[in-house]
Amino acid sequence: MDAVSDPPKPPVSIPRRVFDILSGFGLATFLILLLGLLTWLATLEQVERGLLPTMKKYFDASSFFFTPDLKILNFNGTPVKIPLPGGYWVCALLFVNLFFGGIIRARKGWRHAGNLISHGGILLLIVAGGVAQWKEVRGNMAVSQGASSDVAEDYTEYVVEVSEIKDGKRSNIHVIPGKYLDDLQEQRIGSLRWFNRKLHGMATDGSEPRTFRLPDFPFDLEVNGWRENCQPVGILERAPSDGELVADGYYLLKREGEKQAEANSAGCYARALNRDGSASDPFILAGASFYGKTIQIGERAFLVEMHKRYWPVPFKVRLDKFTATFSPNTMKPESFVSKVTRIEGNHEIPVTIQMNEPMRQNGLTFYQASYGPTGERDPEKMFSVFEVVQNPSDQWPKISIAIVALGLAIQFLLKLGIFITARIKA
Amino acid sequence: MKIPVLFGLVAVLSLPACRKPPAEVTVSETRVETTRDGTTKLGATSDERFRDTRPSPVKGATPEGWLALPATQMRLLNYRFGTSGAGEVWVSISSGSVLDNVNRWLGQFGATKIDSKGLGDLRQVPLAGIPGVWVEAQGDYAGGMGAAGKPDYALAGVVAQSQGRIITVKMVGPKDEVAAAKSTLEAFSRSLTVAE
Repeated sequence: MDAVSDPPKPPVSIPRRVFDILSGFGLATFLILLLGLLTWLATLEQVERGLLPTMKKYFDASSFFFTPDLKILNFNGTPVKIPLPGGYWVCALLFVNLFFGGIIRARKGWRHAGNLISHGGILLLIVAGGVAQWKEVRGNMAVSQGASSDVAEDYTEYVVEVSEIKDGKRSNIHVIPGKYLDDLQEQRIGSLRWFNRKLHGMATDGSEPRTFRLPDFPFDLEVNGWRENCQPVGILERAPSDGELVADGYYLLKREGEKQAEANSAGCYARALNRDGSASDPFILAGASFYGKTIQIGERAFLVEMHKRYWPVPFKVRLDKFTATFSPNTMKPESFVSKVTRIEGNHEIPVTIQMNEPMRQNGLTFYQASYGPTGERDPEKMFSVFEVVQNPSDQWPKISIAIVALGLAIQFLLKLGIFITARIKA
Repeated sequence: MKIPVLFGLVAVLSLPACRKPPAEVTVSETRVETTRDGTTKLGATSDERFRDTRPSPVKGATPEGWLALPATQMRLLNYRFGTSGAGEVWVSISSGSVLDNVNRWLGQFGATKIDSKGLGDLRQVPLAGIPGVWVEAQGDYAGGMGAAGKPDYALAGVVAQSQGRIITVKMVGPKDEVAAAKSTLEAFSRSLTVAE
């Protein structure tokens, strides 16, 4: 008698195959190990490269692929370039994997409720990171004792601002974001921006300017020649050596990027495009400048400036007293304590901000970050520096950990209950 | 089959990065006035915009034979020396550590960088009464800050640290002229004073 052969399995459809891959345990394991590797390498590289540029290189959404730059990856003195995927996209794929595998494909029912809750908590954690990537705003606010401030300054983004001066004050302040400025330079061969420009048949040598239309003003602005880190230098001090454009006796001398990205001082060239079709001579805009460029049109005066982006906050912070304590005979800080008053309209609320005790208000978090001037020992002369963070998902990691813990607890208690019940019955 | 599917996913995820950079942008973002928006100077010249006209916190008398130049953003005191006119001396306030600055100077001449032990072996020379270290190098000067390289150059200078600030006196020029001016440089460094 012949053995009954199993009927042939129907071919698996392509969507099903895609789903199986994306929801697979193998992919999850690979992605988690990859994230661990990226975190380790970033921790090593940020020592030499600086924290902010390393975070951007490894985990920013604009970074699809990159190669680590570490001495431990040198072989016989030659750097070994190992391309790795960007952490943001690894997390994005991990979210898809965990959603498909940990929620959709996972076994359902009350016996598995804890697992589903825990997986949901981890999904929330990944989403929190994504929200922070796109929505987080981070800057610093330096306040002297007795003074008030209602603005934080971005750590790295340089912007160009155009305003009209009326009664000695700026009005109608328009902001040109850094994302429309910092690509106006020669692109590194092989970078994402280089590929993108090649794809669209655009120049990659930084020769193409960008025009910024300003409908509220009697001129537009044309900008080019962005330098991430530079210094305006007079031609009498040092002659240009690389064909730099000279504007009114000065040019932008390119400098190597600083290890700490926030120490970079950006610059660019600009000219005003008047409504009658004429254009001004080129002028320099630089972070390292004391005053902005004045554009006079008839009786009206306008100011064009470059500086780090200002993030206005909806209240004032007055520093009443700042106290810094150091380890004996060293400059190593032990604690910084800022007694401030938060001024909202007619209301004044005293608050203490110190390490691990930030001030939270209106979706903003004020952390005690530092002090100045550097090396100052006289407390009367010190000012306090707060890191100001606006992140809609600020508390989500805390909530996700609670959800994960709840899910694990439920799963454990369920398993325990089932085990005990089975023992009793036996 | 898995690999082509994954590549396809990567391609789809990459699409947002392929938008064409715009040639024109209409500026619509505005902001309110803040406490940082103090009074400004209208009609500032380029010199006023880019030169620091505030009094230098470091003061010193110009040595004989040196030509004093206006201060710049990066140079509190600024001089030329030597018959060629190519010799430069300047006093700056820098960031980082003493070791970082010493190695940056050495790197500009392709010299071997030193460690903290090597830093301790450098000769001590005061700068405005602050203990500093004497640095020398010679060779092809890479120029720093993107300037073109210069052969047969030399460097001499002092790096000191006070109250968390790095103060430097740096001399760069043709090696014969630097060799002849080193003693003047050391005396100049000792003679400097720092305003409170």
